Amino acid sequence: MPSDKNNKIPFNEDNYTHNIERNNERKLDRRGFMKTLAGAAGVFAVSSLPWGAVAAKELIGLGEKEYPKQKIIDESKLAVGDAFEFKFPGEHDDAIIIRLAEDRYVAYQNACTHLRCPVFWVKEQNQMVCPCHHGFFDVETGAPTAGPPRRPLPEIQVKVENGAIYAVRVKRYEA
Amino acid sequence: MKRSYVGVAVLAVILFLNIIFTQYMVHQFFYENYVNTLIFCGLNIVLFPIALFAYKKMKNVKA
Ligand code: FES
Repeated sequence: MPSDKNNKIPFNEDNYTHNIERNNERKLDRRGFMKTLAGAAGVFAVSSLPWGAVAAKELIGLGEKEYPKQKIIDESKLAVGDAFEFKFPGEHDDAIIIRLAEDRYVAYQNACTHLRCPVFWVKEQNQMVCPCHHGFFDVETGAPTAGPPRRPLPEIQVKVENGAIYAVRVKRYEA
Repeated sequence: MKRSYVGVAVLAVILFLNIIFTQYMVHQFFYENYVNTLIFCGLNIVLFPIALFAYKKMKNVKA
């Protein structure tokens, strides 16, 4: 005698197994699909957290790194219009300083913001050039002017003291 | 059995927004616009309860 005890819903629950009639019937139905979507939203929410946390940390200034100022070169050794490569702030962070005028220096971390090739100063063209994929940067601001790079080069603040040039810190992006 | 697919549509839209916000969040982070990063992070988080709510609301709705 066929019993229908398996067809009874004992109580209202959300496991949706009590009315399966065929194998895999409920594998991907509307409700299961919606559940997946809601779960995906949860995954997105959770994976956003670290980004938010690091951003907040940077905002309240914990990420503001201070490096000891570092001598780059003597003023007398850098002619107007010339560039000099150095390392700042770490010994693997390539940087470049360019003397634009008698008392005007600009310095950037010269790892290209596209794929980190070194960026060079081309005096004749009055701009900075990345040879890898022909990226160009404005020497005054470090902003990309042409080619694949989209972000400006991080600027390094310099100051002159007793005829020597010092790197003070890496500026934040303003853009 | 006819069903309402409004819930599916709403959740798909939420997923779409999730993707967009995440994209913006990561980009703004690398641009060092940390305020914008936080905004999009918040939006992403807010979407989750909305998605849950939409799911709860719509899971039993029949057309
Ligand atoms: S690495 Fe500089 S343009 Fe690609």
